[in-house]
Amino acid sequence: MSALPKYLSGFTVIPIAYPSSTHFIYARAHATSKSKTSKTNHAFPEGRTLFLVNIPPDATERELKLLFNHCGKTERVVFDLNSTDALTEDVSDSDEEMAEAETEAVTNEPPNTETRPRKKRKLHTSEPTPPEVIPLPSSSLRTLRKTGSCAHLIFVDSSSLSKALSPPASPIPWPSSDEPRGLSHYMAKYDNERPPLDTIRAHADSFMERFEFDLAKSKQEAKYKKGEAIVDEDGFTLVTRGGAYGQTLGGGVGVASRKFMLTGKTGSRRKKEKKKEKDVFYAFQKAEKQRKAILDLKRNFDADKERIEKLKESRRFKPY
Amino acid sequence: MSQTEFEHTHHHGRDDPLSGHELRDIKDAADLYQSSSFKLQIDALLPNVRPKESGRQQLDHFLFALRTHCISISSIAPMNPLAAAKVLAKQGVAVPFAFPLPSRDAKWKVAFEPPSEISVVGSWGNGIAVKKQSGSRFGVDLSVEMPEALFQEKDYLDGRFFHKKSYYLAVLAQSISTAFDVDTFYSSALGDPRLTTLVLRTRNGSTSYDFSKSHAEIHVIPVLSLSSPLLLSRLFPSHPNVRIPSSSSPSPFATPIYNNAILLSTVAKEALISTYGLKNALPAFHDAYTLLRVWANQRGYGDGELCVRGFEGKGSFWTGLLRYLILGEELVGTKSGSAKLRKPLGKGLSSYQLFKAALDFLAKQNFGETPVFTKTTNGHRCPPEEYITHHPAVFVDATSTINFLSDVPLTSLDLLSHDARETLEQLSNPGASSDAFANCFLKKRFKLSSRFDAVIRQGISFFLVDLSQASRNQSTSALVEHGSSDAALLTSIASILRRGLGNRTQAIAILQPVTPCRPISSAESPSTSTVHIGLIYDPAHAFRLVDHGPSVEDQDSNVAKEFRDLWGSRAELRRFKDGRITESVVWDVTTSDERAHIPVSIVRHLLQLHFGISAKYAKTLQTPFDSVLRLPDDVRRLHRATGGYKAALAAFDGVVRDLKALDEQLPLALLNVSPISEYLRYTSTFAPLPIPASASTEFPESLRFLPTIPIILEFEKSSKWPDDLKAIQKIKLAFFEIIAQSLMTSNPGLKVSVAIGNSSNPFQGCAALEIFTTEGWSFSAFIWHDREATLLDRIIDPSKMFIGPSDQKYNAWEQREAKVAQELYTRRFIHAPRHHRAIANLCHKHSAYSGTVRLVKRWLAAHWLLQTHVSEEAIEIICALPFIGGKQKSTESAAIVPHSKERGFSLVLEFLTDWKWEEPLCLPLYEDDSATAPEVWTSNGPDAVAVHRLRKFARTASKALHNSATELDIKSLFIHPTDDYDIVIQLNPAVLPRYYQNVNAESSVWTRDSHLGITESTPRPGFDPLPLFLADLQSTFTDTLKFFADPFGGDRIGAIWLSSLGTPRSFRALAGFSSKPLSKEDEAKDKGRVILNRQAILDDIGRLGTGLVQKITVRE
Repeated sequence: MSALPKYLSGFTVIPIAYPSSTHFIYARAHATSKSKTSKTNHAFPEGRTLFLVNIPPDATERELKLLFNHCGKTERVVFDLNSTDALTEDVSDSDEEMAEAETEAVTNEPPNTETRPRKKRKLHTSEPTPPEVIPLPSSSLRTLRKTGSCAHLIFVDSSSLSKALSPPASPIPWPSSDEPRGLSHYMAKYDNERPPLDTIRAHADSFMERFEFDLAKSKQEAKYKKGEAIVDEDGFTLVTRGGAYGQTLGGGVGVASRKFMLTGKTGSRRKKEKKKEKDVFYAFQKAEKQRKAILDLKRNFDADKERIEKLKESRRFKPY
Repeated sequence: MSQTEFEHTHHHGRDDPLSGHELRDIKDAADLYQSSSFKLQIDALLPNVRPKESGRQQLDHFLFALRTHCISISSIAPMNPLAAAKVLAKQGVAVPFAFPLPSRDAKWKVAFEPPSEISVVGSWGNGIAVKKQSGSRFGVDLSVEMPEALFQEKDYLDGRFFHKKSYYLAVLAQSISTAFDVDTFYSSALGDPRLTTLVLRTRNGSTSYDFSKSHAEIHVIPVLSLSSPLLLSRLFPSHPNVRIPSSSSPSPFATPIYNNAILLSTVAKEALISTYGLKNALPAFHDAYTLLRVWANQRGYGDGELCVRGFEGKGSFWTGLLRYLILGEELVGTKSGSAKLRKPLGKGLSSYQLFKAALDFLAKQNFGETPVFTKTTNGHRCPPEEYITHHPAVFVDATSTINFLSDVPLTSLDLLSHDARETLEQLSNPGASSDAFANCFLKKRFKLSSRFDAVIRQGISFFLVDLSQASRNQSTSALVEHGSSDAALLTSIASILRRGLGNRTQAIAILQPVTPCRPISSAESPSTSTVHIGLIYDPAHAFRLVDHGPSVEDQDSNVAKEFRDLWGSRAELRRFKDGRITESVVWDVTTSDERAHIPVSIVRHLLQLHFGISAKYAKTLQTPFDSVLRLPDDVRRLHRATGGYKAALAAFDGVVRDLKALDEQLPLALLNVSPISEYLRYTSTFAPLPIPASASTEFPESLRFLPTIPIILEFEKSSKWPDDLKAIQKIKLAFFEIIAQSLMTSNPGLKVSVAIGNSSNPFQGCAALEIFTTEGWSFSAFIWHDREATLLDRIIDPSKMFIGPSDQKYNAWEQREAKVAQELYTRRFIHAPRHHRAIANLCHKHSAYSGTVRLVKRWLAAHWLLQTHVSEEAIEIICALPFIGGKQKSTESAAIVPHSKERGFSLVLEFLTDWKWEEPLCLPLYEDDSATAPEVWTSNGPDAVAVHRLRKFARTASKALHNSATELDIKSLFIHPTDDYDIVIQLNPAVLPRYYQNVNAESSVWTRDSHLGITESTPRPGFDPLPLFLADLQSTFTDTLKFFADPFGGDRIGAIWLSSLGTPRSFRALAGFSSKPLSKEDEAKDKGRVILNRQAILDDIGRLGTGLVQKITVRE
């Protein structure tokens, strides 16, 4: 064990004692690369953020906090998504979401919990207070992550960081939090997914209320009003097919077919005209056609022959 | 014409100088053969089954020497047959006398004179020999004409002719074996000593006469010259030619087979000449004959590993068949009008057409009823009525003297017709996905379990002793007639089974190994060791419960007596509902499994009754297969509830009724409820079994699994749905809540809950309504809303979005999630109901389909591949292959379709053995074949690793299944070898609710007091931790390990390391696997490298499976 290196490509190797083996977490101080925008700076304050690689797949926030308890208090833990998710998210994020990032600490997490619906951002500029969504009851369950994934751990105090980065003398035992594991986890999950009916009702109703509210609001703000034509800068009126159930959204001048919209081609009328011309009219056409038929015949025959030759090589034609 | 274009055409012209001749060849290939590729394949096949030129010279050289030698053998003066035999015995050569053996005081004498003529006859003589099965040599028939002087007029009596012939053969054998350095054997086709020939083969290491290169053996056949003193009129089928001295019966019996055997010695030369004529008259004759023989050899009508009873050594039948088709039919008696006679075939037919004509004749011919007389030159030489009354099947050759089918049981001819029908079906449906040419000529059909619906194996030697005692009353006449006791027995078995099974079967096959050659020192042919009886059911009648006999009025008639004799004590007089009182046999069955066994139990009963063969010697594979699909007995006792598909469907109907009754209380009217579950389409491995809530709590954990049956609710269209995916999901929740509340108020017995599911995917609806009925059925309902598809489409492909108020942009992550949601949507709401309908139809159409699917699923599950690697739906489609065979309109009675689940299973295994999974499989399963969704059921695998394993398991299983020699324990097919897994995770069976379905379920798991463990008072329908755990493992360790497990009660999970991670690699933050740094010594070479931390991963797995995992075993 002692023969193992303490540092690896700039990471501190933190051995974790498992029942019959040693797991390794790699830690490094979080550093923002130049290409990254300022928002990550807000999320992960430099100087007191620890970047961890290869955390156990079932690690919880609490467990990681416990693990680094000896270094100091932890403010919070942010689990990274899968590598690719994290990257693409960063690239494709629009300005809108940058704004969101300012108000909300966690950006890299997908909007996956019901308590934080997507439409929430619209709320910041709104005057009337929106109705609250009553969340579905949720008990604390473990989320499994892919093996070898990363996390950011933010300490309260920057002095803890250096403590955490000094290689420990001996493997630290993996702490354990209260969330159930294994069989009891699955049972708890099963029960958790079947909440009492009244909470479901309350949740659904409140959500719809909020949805209606947001919808009304976005309509107010929207550029296009129902019944009004969409006119671009050059003064052309865009005529489109309507939204759901045949309501036209722009002006009601006429409706282009869906096919036209997708392909830019109109209906089937043109097809019929094509077949008018006769194939075989002049003698040379006829001869040409016959010749072609013979050539095709020959070509097919040769292709077959080739195929059979190939099969022959595989000793297929020895029946027994 | 421009320069380039001219060159172009010119180039073509030079490349293809299509002469008229060539063009005609190509045209012919397409017109006269099935297709040009079929023709080419035939051309490729033919040279492989014909004798090679090499070595022919040595063979001819030997034949000349043999001829010179035989002519110069010195004659032996007449002497008493037994005394003569004794002389030969001293020289180590036995005389193969036939029954009845010559007596000591016989007045006639045997003698030897050199043969008057020696010639090569048969197929070799005509140069049309065809290679035989399993490496047997070409047979060169050498006819040796015995001089007339040796015979007297009365020699047709009492086997005297055969004795003289046997002696003649023995003398030849003795002389040849001493004069030449070759191996000599006796060979008796069909075990009939009257048909004994002398076989000469090259001795290994012999230098003087080495004709091994020609790959041939010489059959020396003593024949009778045409001018022999034996009168043809004495040998007509009706003539009794054997008198048994001890026989008390005064009336002599006709001996048609005996007579036929004598006549067989007279026709060899005539047949040679006639075939030569045909061969010259018809250019295609040779090829057609070769094709026909290859076809027949592949199906056991010839010398092979197994031979259909009666077709051993029947080479002349096939030339006879073609001769009949080409020459036409001889008028029988005074049958009115010659218009009905079969017209001779044209001489310009291609080989393929001629071959097909032969198959067509065989397929349509009912040999049992219609006699066949080949056109002769001079009219009948023997009254045709004689043949018709004395032979069961009649096919008289052009000489009008011999009947090819005299010793062929009708059952074998039924099989021949059936095989011909099957091949014709395949040939006339060239669009089928399978390869017609390979099926017709290249595939061996000796895998009995995939050829017959039921196979019964018997060690015949077991009951031969029984037979000799039990059938003592079975007169010696049968023995005399058939030449050997085996032959007599088999003929009698064939006819009794045929009568007993009647129209239940399309064909009964009696197959036996080819009679082996024996050394010339042994007189008797070795008796047959095993017989296989194969049944091909007629689905319309096979599973009939009652066999009706004659009615009570005919009580004393012969028919009634025959009926009672046939069935023994099982025959009884019964009054039926319609008032009839008839003799009848009723087969009592309690389960559908037993019903499927009726034909086999009939065979068993008849064998026991008539031949004293006890059932334990007649083995079938069916019962062990049934038990694989059934829960252990004590589990069924514990469960008490009666399950089954009918009950499940009834419960489903009940739920639909309850839902429809809610109409007023729901905001939208319920239009449709569609089932999408294997439990409602007869294809789940285990018949569905309800567990009432009350009973569930009493059960130990390992008996508690109750499947939830998914169904789909479709509401009327409405504009009130919101136009947002997430809102739609919430509306669905609200819907579920309303349905749940009102269902519970209207039906107090129901327990309805809403499972909200939990998914990180914002677009995916994973909520379901769970209905738990009082009888203990559990359903989970999903709501289908078609607007979802459009909305998902717009997220995935923004170009489809119209410019509107919501010009929000979706990022890549959202698009990916939307794609996943859309996949689930189309699978669950579009394809699953359609698939369900198609499969349910198939189950109704083919009674064996459901059993086949269930067996295959069980087998795949037992080999840890089902669900995680191969979806159940994909398997259902693959299993449909043998049933519909690429053709939409196949009827139930089509010859190719299996009628028992065992045969279906075996056919699917065969398919899986060489499943080219890269190639798409197209089956016209759905009613509307326009929409195809190929990847729906296979998008999640199988991958290359899984398919490779699958093929390997299939190969092992189908080999075991077809290996007829070994006693097979069916259960061993379902035992999974775990040696090749790197890791085997042993789970605690006591906490697995599905454990009772395990192939090797041990009852101790649920009988011992398991209440010590976790016991929950509330039932959890559908709860099964194994797949949850497996899915978690698979997603956590995607790039590290691949997992396998049996979803049906498996208590082990196997895993293999992915090979890509075996070596050290440089450290990366987002590597995606658990690593450990290399130790310092290793690191000296390359810095910053890590390696897979295997032991830590095992600890991870153990921690993830707390409470489930008992032990993790690692292969060293």
